[in-house]
Amino acid sequence: MEKIDLKKIERKAYTSYHQDGLIDVFAGFIILSSGLWLISDMAWMGWIFWFVAISAYAAAKKTLTVPRIGFVKFAPYRVKALQTIALVVFSLSALLGVVAFMQSEDGGTPLWLLFAIENYMVVIGVSIAASFCVVGFTFRIRRVYAYALLTLIMFVTGHFLYYPLHYYMILLGTLILLFGLAMLIRFIRKYPLSTTGAMGDSGNERQ
Amino acid sequence: MKGNKARDDELPSIPEIDKTIHEPARLMIMAHLFVVESADFLFLQRQTGLTWGNLSSHISKLEEAGYVEVTKEFLDKKPHTTLQLTNKGRAAFQEYRQSMKQIFSKLPKHALRI
Repeated sequence: MEKIDLKKIERKAYTSYHQDGLIDVFAGFIILSSGLWLISDMAWMGWIFWFVAISAYAAAKKTLTVPRIGFVKFAPYRVKALQTIALVVFSLSALLGVVAFMQSEDGGTPLWLLFAIENYMVVIGVSIAASFCVVGFTFRIRRVYAYALLTLIMFVTGHFLYYPLHYYMILLGTLILLFGLAMLIRFIRKYPLSTTGAMGDSGNERQ
Repeated sequence: MKGNKARDDELPSIPEIDKTIHEPARLMIMAHLFVVESADFLFLQRQTGLTWGNLSSHISKLEEAGYVEVTKEFLDKKPHTTLQLTNKGRAAFQEYRQSMKQIFSKLPKHALRI
């Protein structure tokens, strides 16, 4: 009898549920729209992009994914881990902001802040890559780690090439978005909608 | 006869194996439900590779044993079946894992030769 590996089964469940590429489309759209937002210089657009992306993701998951491969609710401990990480990151950012403000009040811009501003491409690249790693860990999607690596390569290279930030954001966002769309098309072809017994029906009603 | 009985007594007792879980298809269903909070029928069918009828009959047996909770509802006017391991089912699955480990843990090394 084949050994039953529960970790492998859990990973398979996560991989199956996210094989539709929607999370890639979502991430790509957010990065691309952030790049476009930097060009347009309209702060209010950022919130609209986020609202549109989250609503579209939820709707697409419900209409495209669930009827094809079913619905699963994962154990909450990974989402709790994500919430904890988000809380820690938010708290640290707020703390850094307060420290920067206090140090600026005392005697000009602190050195560490000047260093961060000078190397902003690397700082932003590391932040995006870290976000990808957190998503990869939470949802057990390995390809997201490749996005993290791609982000690091692009932004560290960008640090030495001196092109504007939005170029890299638009390029990265477009690449991830296109990859996600390709995955979505493959997913829809692989799992055509069933004409009978949709929506996770056990079919007992038809017996 | 007496000698045989004495030897049997010396053997470690094999723990009771839960036959409801021991069946391969049901074991697979339990394992898939164990790692998630809940899943619907279609998802479980995709994951296990079982046919609709096969999965349905095994789910019924697990439900009878009180290991799986089956919730039927209508979503967008379509029937929808959600499956979830009960506390009893989780405990039984853990116990089954322990039992299986216990059975094979004391296998002598020479028995592993092919």
